[in-house]
Amino acid sequence: MIFWLIAEIIKILIVFAGLLAAAAYLTLLERKVAAKIQNRMGPMEAGFHGLLQPIADGIKLFFKEDIIPADADKILFLLAPIIVVIPALTTFAVIPFGAPVKILGHTVPLQITNVNIGILFILALSSLGIYGVVLGGWASNSKYSLLGGIRTAAQMISYEIPLVLSIIGVIMIAGDLSLSKIVSEQSHIWFIVYQPVGFIIYLIASTAEMNRVPFDLGEAEGELVAGFHTEYSSMEFAFYFIGEYAQIVVNSAIIVTLFLGGWQGPFLPSVLWFLIKLFFVVLIYLWLRWTYPRLRYDELMDFGWKFLLPLALANIIVTGFIMILMNK
Amino acid sequence: MEALFYIFSIIAVFSALMVISMKNPLTSALYLVLCFFTIAGFYVILGMQFLAAMQVLVYAGAIMVLVVLVIMLLNLSKIKKIKMDLHQIFIAGVIFIILLAEITIYIINGYPKKPTGIYTHALINKIGNTQILGEFLFTKYILPFEVASVLLLVAIIGAYLFAKKKS
Repeated sequence: MIFWLIAEIIKILIVFAGLLAAAAYLTLLERKVAAKIQNRMGPMEAGFHGLLQPIADGIKLFFKEDIIPADADKILFLLAPIIVVIPALTTFAVIPFGAPVKILGHTVPLQITNVNIGILFILALSSLGIYGVVLGGWASNSKYSLLGGIRTAAQMISYEIPLVLSIIGVIMIAGDLSLSKIVSEQSHIWFIVYQPVGFIIYLIASTAEMNRVPFDLGEAEGELVAGFHTEYSSMEFAFYFIGEYAQIVVNSAIIVTLFLGGWQGPFLPSVLWFLIKLFFVVLIYLWLRWTYPRLRYDELMDFGWKFLLPLALANIIVTGFIMILMNK
Repeated sequence: MEALFYIFSIIAVFSALMVISMKNPLTSALYLVLCFFTIAGFYVILGMQFLAAMQVLVYAGAIMVLVVLVIMLLNLSKIKKIKMDLHQIFIAGVIFIILLAEITIYIINGYPKKPTGIYTHALINKIGNTQILGEFLFTKYILPFEVASVLLLVAIIGAYLFAKKKS
């Protein structure tokens, strides 16, 4: 019992610290990738090739003046950034990041907790991140923020449906909602082979859920200054930032777990395999951001409702038919 | 488990009271979200993780987001005055008495029952309650399930018609 408790606490600390560090260094990676794509150098001053840049940014944000606008709803204004961060960090609790290891005769699964409804847990939590954005936009008492918040809310509701439906194919093939079971089902062949359409829908819909370019209508800087976080400064702004980048890591981890075989792989240790796959999926997200221009609002809605949603439904039906035909 | 039940109950009752007593509609809506969360907590205590996840996903994550969105769009927070209507108080009183009577009858007649049917607790834990729920939905309870889906479809078409009429 004591051993289990200590192992659990250590795992939580590792995941928590790892996620925060990853979120911080993702900002540097993003700037470096953007620089590469635009044929620049990116941050070079702080440390070797800008390696200390995230720390410098963190210190800068920490010492900035903390401004709360007059007439803003104070409690909600402070609560909103926290609501963005918490679901993003909590989601990682059910993601298996390595094969079970043996320590002192005990088998320790490298997953904080194995819930038997793992996928639903993730979906339920990720559907809550939207409150942070909406409340932040509303509580700021600013027109730009409100418009950004409303736009983002409409967008996130629209893209959540294809996001959920794209996963159903994987659940059907695996026959289980638990993530560790889904990973072990992929020991022979990755689910991306059976579910290429589901993978692409998830990739697109999750980009929209995270409000990244080409779906960043809510913070379109040309029209809305910075959208829902226009009025935020100092650490509250940093929280939005951390939440956004933690979401990238979490979504990549979900893609790795559901479609790319999780931690499974030959020769190398399982945790390393997980991290390698995670890194490549993160790179896809960054690459998408610096390649495509922003969609127009009606294009965005049309794409979500008239293309992604029917495609996701068709994917489920086709998967079901093939499974029956192959008598699986 | 019992301590958890009491903690959840206190939060549930408190948030439910706040929903009806808050002046600002957005704050009420957020307390309702909290209330849904505690109900999800009750489901987890009862061993129905699937229902708990659905509660959060559908009610807290989807329906309440739409409610919050509508409140924001209508800018209802500007409305400060609340109209007091005697009819409302009368109707609320009648409903209160009926509900109170119902609860009292249930509590008086209720006694711990033994679980019936082929599914024992051990079996449910072995198969997982999600699978059993799915099986029942598509075999024994297929008719109510389909009727509910038709009802939702009707609601969608109705909403669409209303939205069309205005523009």
